[in-house]
Amino acid sequence: MKLIRTLLTLGLVAFSASGAFAAKKPGELKLFAWSEYVPQAVLDGFTAETGIKVSYETYASGEEMLAKLLSGGTRYDLIQPPDYVAEALIKDGLLVPIDQTKLKNFGNLMPEYLHMPHDPEQKFTVPYMVGTVGIVVNTEKVTEPILGYRDMFSAKYKNRIVALDDGRELAVTALYVLGKDLNDFSPANLAAVRPILAEWFPRIKLFDSDSPKTALLNGDVDLGLVWGGEAATLWNENKKFHYVLPAEGAHLFVDLLAIPKRARNVENAHLFIDYILRPEVSKLISDEFPYTNPNGPARKLLSAEQLANPASYPTTTRKLDTFRHIGDVGAAIDALITDLKNTK
Amino acid sequence: MQTLPGVNPENPHARRPGLAGWLLLAPMIVWLLLFVVAPMAILLVYSFCSRDDLGRVVFSFTWSNYARVFDPIYLQVLGRSVLYAAITTAICLAAGFPAGWFIARQRAAVRNRLLLLVMIPFWTSFLIRTYAWITILKSEGLLNATLLAARAIPAPLEMLYTPAAVMVGLVYAYLPFMILPVYGSAEKLDNALVDAAHDLGAGPVRAFSEVIIPLTWPGITAGVLLVFVPAIGMFAITDLMGGAKVAMIGNVIQNQFTKARNWPFGAALGIVFTLLFVLTYLALQWRGRRART
Repeated sequence: MKLIRTLLTLGLVAFSASGAFAAKKPGELKLFAWSEYVPQAVLDGFTAETGIKVSYETYASGEEMLAKLLSGGTRYDLIQPPDYVAEALIKDGLLVPIDQTKLKNFGNLMPEYLHMPHDPEQKFTVPYMVGTVGIVVNTEKVTEPILGYRDMFSAKYKNRIVALDDGRELAVTALYVLGKDLNDFSPANLAAVRPILAEWFPRIKLFDSDSPKTALLNGDVDLGLVWGGEAATLWNENKKFHYVLPAEGAHLFVDLLAIPKRARNVENAHLFIDYILRPEVSKLISDEFPYTNPNGPARKLLSAEQLANPASYPTTTRKLDTFRHIGDVGAAIDALITDLKNTK
Repeated sequence: MQTLPGVNPENPHARRPGLAGWLLLAPMIVWLLLFVVAPMAILLVYSFCSRDDLGRVVFSFTWSNYARVFDPIYLQVLGRSVLYAAITTAICLAAGFPAGWFIARQRAAVRNRLLLLVMIPFWTSFLIRTYAWITILKSEGLLNATLLAARAIPAPLEMLYTPAAVMVGLVYAYLPFMILPVYGSAEKLDNALVDAAHDLGAGPVRAFSEVIIPLTWPGITAGVLLVFVPAIGMFAITDLMGGAKVAMIGNVIQNQFTKARNWPFGAALGIVFTLLFVLTYLALQWRGRRART
């Protein structure tokens, strides 16, 4: 019995050793990232320089990423979780620590985007891009000033509003209006959120998180609660689309790079992260996807027009909070939103 | 009462296929086992499980998912989905039956050309066709522009992101699935039988209700099933054309597997949903048997 076990172990070791060896030679990186977030030019540039082939699989929400990662089908080498998903992954020990000594460009990152609540020790993640959630106003149609959620969801604008189809983002707007902490979804807070959203929901013309800019561009709506990047694209398209960080409160989301526990090519993942952190590469990403760039030297390479985009670089003196992992409460939020959509 | 072949106890050969028969059936059986029975079994197991903090399925037995299915919130969603699907089916039947009947009564050459027209939309991806509808119905879209130019309306109509838009999308998507089976039955129908009904003094209404309907019943049943069942579960059209405003059961289930990451609850909804299909099917079978007696 012992012999068999030893033989088996030896076999396994030999197998995994050969596997590791084989993986090192051809060079491969399985990247699992948001759709519309990593420019092809960046992937091609990395492959041209290192010879490492990148396979890029995409997802449309942090939750979808989590579901696919946890189902364990593919062994991804590098993932791009949003902050609160990364927090959960760290908590459950599902990420490999990042060896900062291998990242000579790590110093390019602006200190305000490091040691954030999702990764206080800055051990497991590297910021990729940052963004806010705010209000887009079509100033040709809406002439009165829109300062926050209350103005936006007022009865005046019934059927002229698009909002993200994301339970948590919607519930948070009401928490802000109530002056509560954005991560406090206690039953009492959820109960308080309900009447506010119940009043607002009938005024919303459509919910869309994939591409809320489309309804605004099409002229179907004049106001939108959207991702900052979408708002930046709208502003580039037409300067009539103004971006407002809501007065009642706004938050920041940070999309990160992280290496999952079951990754096969940890070394290559580090190489890719370091490549992304180069100012000239980071600039390429900003050129294509106008989110907030957390890379200091890369920002210096951006044009004055890019930096002036109010949706990419909103001017605010406020401290913007981030989402935290809320665990089970997600189900309660989902039920609340489904119920509210029902009762219309 | 007419007995169906295969359930006739006096004919043992009808029940016992030979080796060749089994061999011919084997690919189908394997396919059904792999892609219908196995996933349904997984779904059934999951529907009694719990989820952990991260949304992973935890194998500890619970009835709570089913309890939640029967929460008024989800019953209402289910009710609405059934209502929308029923309206879709009714409109498809009203529009599809005459179309299928008309095509079946044409000369072979014309018939094939008309059938091709019914099929042509399938050459384009379903999602692209849905986006085409968005382009037509949006505020600054084709239809509003035409109506405005014709001075038929003073201001653009709000058509997109309304329940009516969802109905348009559903009927558009499923109409061919009504036309084709109705055509199939109508084509086989012997015109002499309709003539005979007229000769025997039946008016158009009586000939229709007592000859045409019973003889095309299999096609109608198939069409109703093909439209009604998928229409209940449809989520893409309600999201894209309805602005995700009214939750349908398809959207709720999809949500459980993606955003809400509550697979056990999604599985429970799926199981209940499947049972509903089975009941619909049985009801139609029962109705069909009655119609034939």
